[in-house]
Amino acid sequence: MSLLVARDLRKDYPMAGEQVHAVKGVSLAIERGEYVAIAGPSGCGKSTLLHLLGGIDAPSEGWVELEGVRLGALADRALTRLRLTRIGFVFQRFHLLPVLTARENVELPMAEAGVPARERRARALELLGYVGLGHRAGHRATQLSGGEMQRVAIARALANRPALLLADEPTGELDAATGHEVLELFRRLNADGATLVVVTHDEKLAAEAGRVVRMLDGSVVAPR
Amino acid sequence: MAPVWTLRNLGRRPLRTALSLAGIAVASAMLLDMVMLSGGIERSFERLLLGRGFQVRVSPKGALPFDAEASIADADQVVARLRGDPDIAAAGPVLGGALYARTADSLATLFGYGIDPAAQSLYQVLSGRDLAPGDTLGILLSAPAAARLGAAPGDTLRIVGGLDPGIATAAVERRLVVRGMVRWLYDYRGQPSVGVLLPVMQRLVHAPDRVSLVAVRVREDAAVPGVVARLRATEPRLEVNSVAQLVVHFRERLVYFRQLSYILGTVSLIVTVLLVATLLTITVSERLGEIATLRAVGVPRARIVRQVLAEGLALTSIGTVIGIGLGIATARRLDAILTSFPGLPAALSFFVPEPRSLALAGAILLVAGSVAGLYPAWLAARAPIAATLRAEAT
Repeated sequence: MSLLVARDLRKDYPMAGEQVHAVKGVSLAIERGEYVAIAGPSGCGKSTLLHLLGGIDAPSEGWVELEGVRLGALADRALTRLRLTRIGFVFQRFHLLPVLTARENVELPMAEAGVPARERRARALELLGYVGLGHRAGHRATQLSGGEMQRVAIARALANRPALLLADEPTGELDAATGHEVLELFRRLNADGATLVVVTHDEKLAAEAGRVVRMLDGSVVAPR
Repeated sequence: MAPVWTLRNLGRRPLRTALSLAGIAVASAMLLDMVMLSGGIERSFERLLLGRGFQVRVSPKGALPFDAEASIADADQVVARLRGDPDIAAAGPVLGGALYARTADSLATLFGYGIDPAAQSLYQVLSGRDLAPGDTLGILLSAPAAARLGAAPGDTLRIVGGLDPGIATAAVERRLVVRGMVRWLYDYRGQPSVGVLLPVMQRLVHAPDRVSLVAVRVREDAAVPGVVARLRATEPRLEVNSVAQLVVHFRERLVYFRQLSYILGTVSLIVTVLLVATLLTITVSERLGEIATLRAVGVPRARIVRQVLAEGLALTSIGTVIGIGLGIATARRLDAILTSFPGLPAALSFFVPEPRSLALAGAILLVAGSVAGLYPAWLAARAPIAATLRAEAT
């Protein structure tokens, strides 16, 4: 059984008085351990598709199943819990809590999931070590560089051992060197067994993936 | 983790938070002062009247104690009847009136009390000694009187009474020796008061067998209503009031203080709510992207709501703690101003800081802080995740 299955996804939303058809009938299956890139030009609907796959937006039509659970059938609380425990998100703008340290940012999802303090502290330090930031654990997010912030965000996404890691333009705010570090990290993550879906318009990053789903104007053009 | 997060969030914009805290502290101080004012003066008045354990006051019909120049006639008989009541432990007659002290070149105006030292409800001896029964040559001075006359225990004063400015020859003059310095409980600030034995005062002011009031100490507090009812029946030409009834009269006279305190207290509460709500709304609006991210990574809506409410509560709590200090300091200053008005006992307090009033004001403010957080918390909870993230990305 595929880890994630999406069928006939459509997403329409109003913008400036007009209906935008952001995603038009996309179907997709992601297998465990896969590294998939969703590539395409800006505004082609790839971020919206990622939001639908991650259950942070509801499709206008179609459905998404993660590990056999249909996201649209879940109440808000259950869907939130599923995102907390089964999906990891990485965003272009990192969105770490600036008032918390790197370790505390990584601990946050675990605290929400009810992981005991000692255990989550150890896991946070382990994850920060994994992303090469063990020495920055006590620094606040505002004291970190862009690349470091993104690596902390990746550690946060991995905190609750998710089945699926979704990343939306993870190198979009980074320079070439730090972008390369993130790219390396994703490669290592995938090699260690993580299932990755990365939205990008960066061809280098897309080329790293095992499969590239190309989108244009809300539709998947290749491969399906 | 949550408390740390809450407090650090407040520190994100230190200047804005400091200004908001200052605003909340001022509003809290005002609310606290108004809570203290709304009931403080009554409690202070009651404590003052009960200070020496006399629970009943007997005054001329239609007048409250020292309310007018009216006096009780046949005072000896009245006092004897009161002292004959088995429920009454003591009856202390008092005659008030104007006295004058002759100085080198003029007369200094004084307020004189004629008292029975064995049953007095009016003063505390600070230095020297009290008047002994039968000490018709002794006099007690308040500090302002001593300062005005330059007198101390042991000095002899020439006290004049019954002085009509138009016919000075009608005055009675006595040489009296200062026995002690006292604090008169009902004097206004700076009032130059003296005390002599009641018969001496009656002769000085030409009021034989008259008193201004009689303070009555009832043996048991529970018997006070019964004694008051009985005295009203047996002494129909007198005004008989328990301290509780005098407090009611007092409350009726000062009803505007209570109304003022309610209005200003409500205004300060509204200001607090608006301040906290405005600050949190701005904060939430600035952090919508962050909130959407938290929601995306699985932080529940309820957690976001709790976080916003906690920030409002923390802000209000800190502001309230500062406000309590500020409120007490302000109350002391205002009290000093208000009790310096002539005619008001200096021992009276308009603002009484009691644990109950502090707790009440604190509780009201905390509820207000929580209420103020409801709208921004609702804003944070209903922020659509995907649309907010889309807007953040553009």
